[in-house]
Amino acid sequence: MKATASHQKLQFLLFGTVGLAVLPHYPHLPPLSFGFFAALLGWRLLGVRHPAWLPGRRVLFLLLLLGIVLLFTERQGILGRDAGSNLFITALGLKLMETKRERDSCLIVYMAFVAAATQFLYEQSILFGAYIGLVCCLLLALLIAMNGLQHHIAQALKLAMVFVLQAAPLAAAMFILFPRLDPPKWLAIGSETRNRTGLSEVLEPGSITNLGLSDELVFRARFDGPLPPPHQRYWRGPVMAATDGKRWVQAQNFERYPKPDPQVSGRPYRYTLLLEPQEKNWVFALDMPAEFSPPLSRNANFQMVTSEMRGQRAAYKLTSYPDYNTGPLSSAEYRDATQLPGTPSARVKDLVARLHGYDAAPELFIKNLLDHFRRENFRYTLEPPKLDANPIESFLFDTRAGFCSHYASAFVYLMRAAQIPARVVTGYQGGETNEVGNFIQVRQADAHAWAEVWLDRHGWVRYDPTAAVAPERIEYPLDVSRLSPGETIYFESAAGEFGKIVSFLKQAGLIWDTVDYGWQRWIINYNGTHQAHFLAGFGIKGSRAMLNWLGAILLAVTVLSSLAILYRRRRQLDPALRIYARFCGRLARKGLVKGTGEGPKDFAERVKAALPEHADEVDGITEIFMNLRYGRRPNPQNIERLKRRVAAFKP
Amino acid sequence: MNAPGLKMKERFRLSRFVRGEKASPDPVILNHRRIFILPTRRGLGFAFLATLLFFIGFVYNNNPVYLLAFLLAGIFFLSTVHTFRTLAGLVIREGYGKPVFAGDTAAFPIHIDNPTSLLRPQIRIEGQPETELTLPPESRSQIFVHRTAARRGWCEAGPITLCSTFPLGLFRAWSPLRFNMKILVYPQLAEAGVPLPPLSAGPDRDGVGRQGSDEFYGLKNYSAGDPVRRIHWKAYAKGYGVLSKQYRGGGSGELWLDFDETPGGGTEERLSRLCRWVLEADQAGLRYGLRLPGNRIMPADGAQHRQSCLEALALYPL
Repeated sequence: MKATASHQKLQFLLFGTVGLAVLPHYPHLPPLSFGFFAALLGWRLLGVRHPAWLPGRRVLFLLLLLGIVLLFTERQGILGRDAGSNLFITALGLKLMETKRERDSCLIVYMAFVAAATQFLYEQSILFGAYIGLVCCLLLALLIAMNGLQHHIAQALKLAMVFVLQAAPLAAAMFILFPRLDPPKWLAIGSETRNRTGLSEVLEPGSITNLGLSDELVFRARFDGPLPPPHQRYWRGPVMAATDGKRWVQAQNFERYPKPDPQVSGRPYRYTLLLEPQEKNWVFALDMPAEFSPPLSRNANFQMVTSEMRGQRAAYKLTSYPDYNTGPLSSAEYRDATQLPGTPSARVKDLVARLHGYDAAPELFIKNLLDHFRRENFRYTLEPPKLDANPIESFLFDTRAGFCSHYASAFVYLMRAAQIPARVVTGYQGGETNEVGNFIQVRQADAHAWAEVWLDRHGWVRYDPTAAVAPERIEYPLDVSRLSPGETIYFESAAGEFGKIVSFLKQAGLIWDTVDYGWQRWIINYNGTHQAHFLAGFGIKGSRAMLNWLGAILLAVTVLSSLAILYRRRRQLDPALRIYARFCGRLARKGLVKGTGEGPKDFAERVKAALPEHADEVDGITEIFMNLRYGRRPNPQNIERLKRRVAAFKP
Repeated sequence: MNAPGLKMKERFRLSRFVRGEKASPDPVILNHRRIFILPTRRGLGFAFLATLLFFIGFVYNNNPVYLLAFLLAGIFFLSTVHTFRTLAGLVIREGYGKPVFAGDTAAFPIHIDNPTSLLRPQIRIEGQPETELTLPPESRSQIFVHRTAARRGWCEAGPITLCSTFPLGLFRAWSPLRFNMKILVYPQLAEAGVPLPPLSAGPDRDGVGRQGSDEFYGLKNYSAGDPVRRIHWKAYAKGYGVLSKQYRGGGSGELWLDFDETPGGGTEERLSRLCRWVLEADQAGLRYGLRLPGNRIMPADGAQHRQSCLEALALYPL
């Protein structure tokens, strides 16, 4: 009876763990598929107690058909991340219903490993990593329990932990040293995995909850004279004027706008742009580019584009002026720049009215709005909460946490609510300066979004609402290796009695951010470039060197752990016994092997009979050994004496 | 305790892999020389799993998946050492097995000693049926290796293989061991029902006293080997000590079990019959002798005698 009870317990544990492994798939599986799996799992759990309730062959076949129909209706195909995990989970659910032998359980555990691992394609936060790690420990413990420790599940769990701890250094060595190569193009189904900080044609602040900070180089700008100050380093990309409330895209007919040349003034910056291979034909020029030559051209949004072939490194010479006036606005431009998705809600109107959007000059409204961002508890974070159906309102009134595109889009929306023409500009901001080479390096992580407001007599004027909340973002070059992605900047005024608690919480938050940053930096973003850079510090250059080092480290770890285990017993041996064994070994070579039941005294007699010329030595060694082994008060110095005597003993 | 070093040539002999090293009477400590290890099917599956995860990590450029794949690879790696440790350090000693009749199962006792402080779960001893045991720290245990004794004569245990796939079942560590263990197999027992041959008269008193064997003659002190049924229980109950009843007729009519006069066609058939008769005669408390071509055991009785008769039958040249 006990056997069946522990078997049931093991089964409960197995299916429960499978449930835990699949649970985080809930948000991204089609609801029907997830429901199908949950139903199968529930059925299986009931079947542990009541095996008769489990489906027979015919029902199983029907379930299989149902699963196939479900997959078919969802029309995701079978390749790719979403379709693959959907297919896999359905298969796992069906496999659950058919666990006759131990081999089936083992297969289920393996499948659960894959199910757990594929979660990382969606979510890579540190807490999530810990959760998956825990699930994997449980799965390992199950493997152990199924293989001999059925009645000692706690012990199996402990052993699994030991395994993970012992394997961790090996895994770390492989992780650090295994060369990261980019997958070949024909395998490029992984583009959907990460929200890169790079630029795209669509800006959708609400949908992004976690920006991967890519330190991939976009371009370098080498200046002929001094570098522009940080607050002027806005590298213009596509301009988003059209919105449906969630997404921002370029206005449909912006190419038909008149293209007046802006009036420029002030000191010019002359520079050479070294553009890394790009997917688009965009060239990121410093605001406002005035002098350039083909193949470059400036479109109606004042963005530079090239007619050259894409996908190649290119160099362009440009001159930009920080002060400019774009002149009057055409009617089409005005229409696009004030377009709103429906009428603003009452609380938006209320906010605009409170900030004097309707009854004061635009400049004052802008100032009030930026003050509003600064005064209220808005914060800058690269890991904002996901926003719901109305992202701008929930950002403005509820979450109040976001990065540049949240601020820029909200700012523009409020401007338009007050009938002020405004639009979102995307591009790059800042960059890492290199004083020696007198150039600025701009990486994908420097991607930025800001706003432009059209003001009478000034034309399009740049405002950066992010700067109001996180001035550091603008003033200091954003160094990916220093920036914490979870960084939050509070502008709280509550310094009163809660000050201490707040500062403590802030401290804890900062520590957490640091840990999280370490995770992001060293685990999530440890890519080929990063790896090459990091390992070059140790003098390891090139994939071959990495593999050699990896092999050497694995070998060393293997030898060490094997030695530790092989020699464990010998170390516990009494030293006297060990030395005496050496003595016996010498004699064994002469053909005098000590019998299993033979005592040292009897053996000595036998040896003396065979080798009378060594009688004294044999007697001496045997006596010391007997004293050490069986003496009432062994003399510790005898160990040394025994060692010397045995060393000198040469039969 | 292990036999001293192997020569180079012996080390690389392939038979060490399956049949083990030369038999020796000493206890064997399982160490790296005796234990072999290879992945199981489940282990290959695990390796495939790690490779699959690695591939997913590669295609999606996903570092946590990479990390998990490497962790599993490390566990795969380490599991060799753990599995090895499940067997390493055990001390195996042979035992003495009891004789059996052909067709029965011979049970070879094996003593396994776990002198270490490690728990050794799931130690399997291959055979029919396979035995599995768990050795707690610092414990000894005895198990039986079963072999079907098909033919009379000596049954050898052959290589005895200890194996374990603990803890993860990814690798199977095994150690083939050979001992000089032999169990005597008596001939197969013939069906009961054929009556014992007639008591042969002594050479001088032919034809007389055939039933005389149950003629009471006197009492003597019990000595080891006397049939139990001859113990004078009444006297024992009265407190006279253990006495054996002596019957006359031992001298007058002895039972000779003669190979040449045994019914049956082949040698084995006759030996089987003789085997049955020996048991029946012993049970009946008769004095009996055994006459085989080239071997003769003078009439006697008792367990010792029965055993030497059965032994002679078992070892009768094929």
